[in-house]
Amino acid sequence: MAFTIRHTATALTAATLALCGSAIAAEKTLKIYGFGAKSGVVGIFGQQSEAAMQAAANIINKNGGVTLGDGSKAQLAIEYLDDRCNAEEGINALRRIASLNDSVVAVGPTCSNVAEPAFGILQKKAGDSSDSGIQFPLYTDVAAKGGLASISEWSFRNVPNEANMYKSLFEWIKVARPELKTFWGGVEKDFAHSNFTYKVIEKNAAANNLQVLGASEWLLNDINFSNQVREMKRAKADVVAISAHPFTTCGVLKEMARQNVRPKMIIGLTSSSSMETLTGCGAQAQGLTIPTAFAPVTDAAKEAAAAIQKINPKYNMDLHNAAAYENIFTLKALIEKQKIMGRPDTLTEDREKMRQGLAAMQQTEGLLGKVGRTNDREAVKPFLFVQAKGNDWAVLHTPAQ
Amino acid sequence: MTATDWLDLTQSWIDGVMFGTTYALIGIGFTLIFGVMHKINLAYAAASIGAAYLSLLVIELVPTPLVYLFSAFAGGLLGALIYFVCFRFIPIKSPLATLMSTVGMLLVIEELMSHLTQGMPQNYPAMLTDIGLEIGDLYIRGDLMFVFALGAIAMVLLNLLLKRTRLGLATRAVAQQPVAAQLCGMGIDKTNASTFIIAGFLGGTAGAMVGAAIGVLSPLVAMPITVKGLVVTVIGGLGSIPGAIIAGLLVGGFENIFQYWRGVTERDIYVMLLLFVFLVFRPNGLFAPPGGRD
Repeated sequence: MAFTIRHTATALTAATLALCGSAIAAEKTLKIYGFGAKSGVVGIFGQQSEAAMQAAANIINKNGGVTLGDGSKAQLAIEYLDDRCNAEEGINALRRIASLNDSVVAVGPTCSNVAEPAFGILQKKAGDSSDSGIQFPLYTDVAAKGGLASISEWSFRNVPNEANMYKSLFEWIKVARPELKTFWGGVEKDFAHSNFTYKVIEKNAAANNLQVLGASEWLLNDINFSNQVREMKRAKADVVAISAHPFTTCGVLKEMARQNVRPKMIIGLTSSSSMETLTGCGAQAQGLTIPTAFAPVTDAAKEAAAAIQKINPKYNMDLHNAAAYENIFTLKALIEKQKIMGRPDTLTEDREKMRQGLAAMQQTEGLLGKVGRTNDREAVKPFLFVQAKGNDWAVLHTPAQ
Repeated sequence: MTATDWLDLTQSWIDGVMFGTTYALIGIGFTLIFGVMHKINLAYAAASIGAAYLSLLVIELVPTPLVYLFSAFAGGLLGALIYFVCFRFIPIKSPLATLMSTVGMLLVIEELMSHLTQGMPQNYPAMLTDIGLEIGDLYIRGDLMFVFALGAIAMVLLNLLLKRTRLGLATRAVAQQPVAAQLCGMGIDKTNASTFIIAGFLGGTAGAMVGAAIGVLSPLVAMPITVKGLVVTVIGGLGSIPGAIIAGLLVGGFENIFQYWRGVTERDIYVMLLLFVFLVFRPNGLFAPPGGRD
């Protein structure tokens, strides 16, 4: 009797421990952090990025999660911090993420004016013991100002190369629309992305036989564009390029309609190929042509577009959050390839392994096709040209790449 | 300067003055509240834009003039809300407390606009967009003429309200002699609340006109309109409605002239310099109101 009770108790204890063990293994999570503008006037970017990351994580988790370095499985969890498109808050968010013992990599930020200083506080050269910068890998989804990833060997980007896109666009215009001879620009002077990209646009316009007649300037918060559009009207250019975000793009387009300025072609900034522009000034934006790195033209892209609608039916997939979606799948593959352990005691080693994995990537899977990588940690993404048609962005042309 | 330059300068001035009507309306609101309570309501411009946002609720249901009217009523409601939240229960002898509470309210309204619309620009209807007045090579936009006319009507109605009604009499009495007004049986709180509602009504109109003039509403609009409204209030003279009107038109005109002359990156420097010149040489503004006997 005593022997039976003792053995029964032992068996019960062993069974309970085994159950607890398997329960703990099933609940393992690996967190991927993100940070970007979740509030403020560009809050939709961060909200949609977070939704895209969550959509990707849901698909990965549904298919069993991610395999860690010790062979165990973990579910991906997403946590997204709000930097309000403010440099100081972005730096604070990055510092906070880097101080946590469950963060091996982060996606973000949204804004180029945050990315530049945020990359600036990372260690410039990996392994440089004299550099006390943060040693934490960042894989950016949205901030698109050219050349930022070269700031630090810990910064990587999956953003479209706007120089390539606009080069291709203007080369196509030269062939497809040879009747277009003159060019006038419009630029949001106080926003890093639009200001930088305008130089790219103007350079490519001039390189493709368009005579650059001049440019109008305004600020992000401006509400009166009469002077600028009057300059545009007087120039009577065939092509007008507006390097600005949706609010001022809409303000300018509406003023152009009022002053009856109708160029033969209007080109926009990549960031304006979104629902914001169509919501604010759909009627005036008809025909606006923009190069973009996302359109629901492949099965993967359509699946991604459907996945984000499950998170929130009000959200759409566009070139910004499509990159966030791609990033999660890329990071999942890297976590497995680099055998990330995901434990507090392996934190430093895991971050270095993630950095090495990101640095070693030659190519990743994108929603429109393979995405190449450059030596300076940037992406070479497939792209196409879209045009505002009705309430949507229709594909105008897919250039050879 | 060539003939084209003079033409451009004149056109810039005309466009600026017409747009300046919106600044004048905002300035009147700031100055009206200051005149009565000797306090600044920093949330005023944000509430005006907020009222325009609220009018988007009826945009599909009613014709455009009624959308503007809805915005005016929404402005009145927001004005009342601001009075009760930021002024009514805060001791009158604590000017900094009311100022900071209105700063908080400004931030709350801005954030609400951003959150509820996810920061997306919203199309806002304008009237008379297809017509304009051509005087030689000069062109005056039809929609801005409408904004100007509506602004002028609002100012005339406000003047009539203040000069010809008991409410207006009470408002002026409280502004000039609050103690004496109280002794005469006028309720200070009721009068102040009414002032906020009237100013809010005007602000809602201003918000609608700003939306109509640009064609788009965005939370980005609130801060620049706040700054311009304050500049107009100071240049016009704190508490002076005619001053706010003239100053609004002048600031609008000069802003465009500075932009034409020095470009967009230096424009605001010169607008602030204009304010500085007034503060140094005419600190009471264009039309300083007479002081009270108390």
